[in-house]
Amino acid sequence: MKKKYCMVIDSSVCIDCKGCMVSCKVQHKVPRGRWRNWIKHTEPDFTMGKHTFVHFQPGNCMQCDNPTCVYACPSGATYKDEETGIVHINEGLCIGCGNCVVACPYGARYRHPEKRVPDKCDFCRDRLDMGLLPACVDTCPTKARTFGDMNDPDSEVSRLLRDRETVRVVSKPVDTEPNLFYMAGVMPLDWPGPVEYPAAYRAMTGFVNPLVKIAVGLSGLGVAAMFLKQIFTSDETSEDDSREEV
Amino acid sequence: MKDKMPPLSRRKFLKTSLAAAAISAGAGSPLVKSLVPRAHASGARPPGQITSHYTACDMCFNRCGMIARVQNGVITKIDPNPAFLKSRGMLCARGNAATKHIYDPDRLKYPLRRAGKRGEGKWERISWEEALDYTAEKLLEIGEKYTRCGVMFIPGSDMQSQFVNRFAEVFGSYNITSHETLCLLSKNRAYLDTIGEVPYPDVYYSKYIIVAGANPFEAFITPDTMDFFEARKNGCKIIVLDPRFTKTAAMADEWYQIKPGTDMAFFLALCHVIAKEELYEAEGCCPVNTYGFEEFFLHIRKYTPEWAEKECGIPAQDIARIAREIAAAAPAAMVYPGRRTSDYEDSTQIRRAMAITNALLNNFDKPGGLLAIREVGVKTPYYDVPWYDDNPFDRVEAGLVPGLIDHEGSFQLMREAIISGEPYPIKGWFNFKTNFMQTAANRNKTIEMIDHLEFIVNIDIAMTDTAWYSDVVLPGASFLERKDPVSALQGSSACACAVFRDPVVPEMFESRSPFWICKELSKRMGLADSFDFTIDEYRRQQVDGLEGAMEAMENMGVYYNPSKTYGIYAGSPLKTLTGVKEIFNQRYEASGVDPMPVYRRPKQPAENQFRLVVGRTAFFTHSNTNNELLTEFMEENTLNIHPEPATRMGLSDGDLVEVKSKAGQGRLRLEFTEGIEKQTVYTATGFGALSPEMSLVHNKGASISELLEDYHDEISGNMAMHETFVSIRKVA
Repeated sequence: MKKKYCMVIDSSVCIDCKGCMVSCKVQHKVPRGRWRNWIKHTEPDFTMGKHTFVHFQPGNCMQCDNPTCVYACPSGATYKDEETGIVHINEGLCIGCGNCVVACPYGARYRHPEKRVPDKCDFCRDRLDMGLLPACVDTCPTKARTFGDMNDPDSEVSRLLRDRETVRVVSKPVDTEPNLFYMAGVMPLDWPGPVEYPAAYRAMTGFVNPLVKIAVGLSGLGVAAMFLKQIFTSDETSEDDSREEV
Repeated sequence: MKDKMPPLSRRKFLKTSLAAAAISAGAGSPLVKSLVPRAHASGARPPGQITSHYTACDMCFNRCGMIARVQNGVITKIDPNPAFLKSRGMLCARGNAATKHIYDPDRLKYPLRRAGKRGEGKWERISWEEALDYTAEKLLEIGEKYTRCGVMFIPGSDMQSQFVNRFAEVFGSYNITSHETLCLLSKNRAYLDTIGEVPYPDVYYSKYIIVAGANPFEAFITPDTMDFFEARKNGCKIIVLDPRFTKTAAMADEWYQIKPGTDMAFFLALCHVIAKEELYEAEGCCPVNTYGFEEFFLHIRKYTPEWAEKECGIPAQDIARIAREIAAAAPAAMVYPGRRTSDYEDSTQIRRAMAITNALLNNFDKPGGLLAIREVGVKTPYYDVPWYDDNPFDRVEAGLVPGLIDHEGSFQLMREAIISGEPYPIKGWFNFKTNFMQTAANRNKTIEMIDHLEFIVNIDIAMTDTAWYSDVVLPGASFLERKDPVSALQGSSACACAVFRDPVVPEMFESRSPFWICKELSKRMGLADSFDFTIDEYRRQQVDGLEGAMEAMENMGVYYNPSKTYGIYAGSPLKTLTGVKEIFNQRYEASGVDPMPVYRRPKQPAENQFRLVVGRTAFFTHSNTNNELLTEFMEENTLNIHPEPATRMGLSDGDLVEVKSKAGQGRLRLEFTEGIEKQTVYTATGFGALSPEMSLVHNKGASISELLEDYHDEISGNMAMHETFVSIRKVA
């Protein structure tokens, strides 16, 4: 059966300890100054006296069902995996245009300074294959994050989604239908930015004409070139590929 | 390898290896290290099998259970051990950053001997043989010249500290002190003198908790930090008193911005209401099972909530309400004892007031209150301590304060004694993994102390400021490379447990464990008999009689002793002089100390002066800031200040200022926040390192050790770090 992974987050227990951020950074070798996940917070209002508070809100790529990043990708490198619901990046297909980075209203993507391709949370797909939880979920001291398959009615996330009132953090102009669910009362809610498609992309989609197909065709050529390049440059990949054939 | 094995696809290969890793994580077989493949000589690296190894964290002092993932001989990731109850199956930012602790470019690689002046940074590389010979010779020379007590030992707070301690004792010095004398000794003193032991708070089952002088959501204590949230889910109310709007304050039910140093006023008033309104449990608690309740009743008559409001700034009606609420929730209610209590000159008395409040709540040895020490069953193997005829009668700072704790002493008072040479000279310093140059108030005085020393040897994994001023620097192995003895831990009501460490990867460079170093030194000093054992033999002695302990630690990373949690005393007398909770302490009276806490108004900063308070974040521990994964959250420390006084002085947010005390000065950037009392400023520990080899924190911000003046708690000799007033001047 197809899975649909999601996170249900009880941000009321987040203490902003940064555990999830370091765990993620180590797991995915995220370079200094870049992040795959974050902790947002409200500003304290000290006129509230003894009831002054701050609400912390952990987050990461929301693996949206209406993924603007996927729409913005001209080469098909960014795609939503139908088997898991996770939005992935096929680095081999990426042409490094950066359209997806600005198309995400959550700022969930960054451009990797060395690989020159976008990078973002993939719910730790490799760890899921190992039978482990995503790094941020596993390490969280107060267990603010619950991860699981919402297609499985017996999963903890399904139970939480049934029993508890949840909200989603959405961009005003576009409801991207995110798959990060927060327990009601979460703050702040107004931080997602606009969805920006680059001018060139808008022009092309506006025409919906052969130009798009040509562009895709060209990017296909690029893909082929990248594939050839990989065969000739990376012995690790080529060795594995040849093993695959045996 | 390629020839012998059937070719595997990458996916299949990964799957098999990951399944193995998953099995080892779940069922917990100590997946043999020999399975870790060596990197291919050809240069083409196969995707290495991932193996998993249990160990216990050492990024702070909580010893949380962790699983290290190793690939191609390198630790690539560290995860929490889900079966580890004390840490509630979590790992904080620091634990996750342990990969950069072991693979730190600033790590020491081989033994060094000073070649220039102290602090000048000139070193010569020497062999281990030479380093050990030289160290042994110098220690013996000082022992001959000044008696064995002429060497100060600081064994650290590590799972191998017991070996350094043992080495100190067989060498013959009583002058052993610790990091704890900058930390929690005043709290320990207060509880020892009230209930006869240092209790563990049972946060998990508590219904009402007052947190004062503590910041558990940033200064993690496991399992307390996590248990606050479980308790809250079950309706526990959390009251925080703090001059700063800490993250603990930010998440509390009520936060009171108490005036610094006035906590005792609040708690005496709380006791006043509880006593006057007879909210205590008359049957099981007061006046039976306490000593001096009647005297206390009279003593606190004047400490009314209205009086306290004037002192601490918390409204009288709130004090009275909190007293009634907490008494109603008792005994599943508590004043959280906290951890670092090195704040004021009357720290012990402040904590006595809290301990007495707990006594009135009758919460000791009960669910949701304060727990007695549980049995873990780990033994300390016996060893003979030789007698040295010429040694002095007692430790060097004995008698300087009435409540010095045995085997801990007071670093600050020892420092004074070393400088004065009285009552006898100390000329050597053996230091393991403790960085007083960065953590102890008045760094200039520590340097002055160093000037009086003839020999300093230091074991650490990096060139800390203390190492920078040493004569011989020995590269220690990190906790991930070591085989460590068994360590007993109490995780509140969650568990009484034991852990050990096996090396996850081999020792890097020429680094060695303190055990090996002590063993090698003992051979050279005629003390070989004292270290005539292996770690395995030592461990067996430690868990002798504990059935299944060794297997549990090997297979699950932890052994749990299902020992009694509550009602341990079951009517038998407490370990106090009177056998009951001592509200009135007769020993205090005999030594001229207030037998019951007497409030004295803290001295106040002059106009345009500020009280400097210090603390830390959830991602740093003391001076362990030199970690690339953690400094990303804070590249240098700032000075938190309230905008009102700052603006009055013509200062703006982000200004670089010179902060000056009587002890020293440093430069910090201002960070405005309304979440701080107006005559108080705050900065974090761990920055402004003198050693350029602490590359991420050298010349960044300012060190608290430079800014803080040295005061100490009058009873325990614990350092008092919140008594310093500073002036602030904008740097042009």
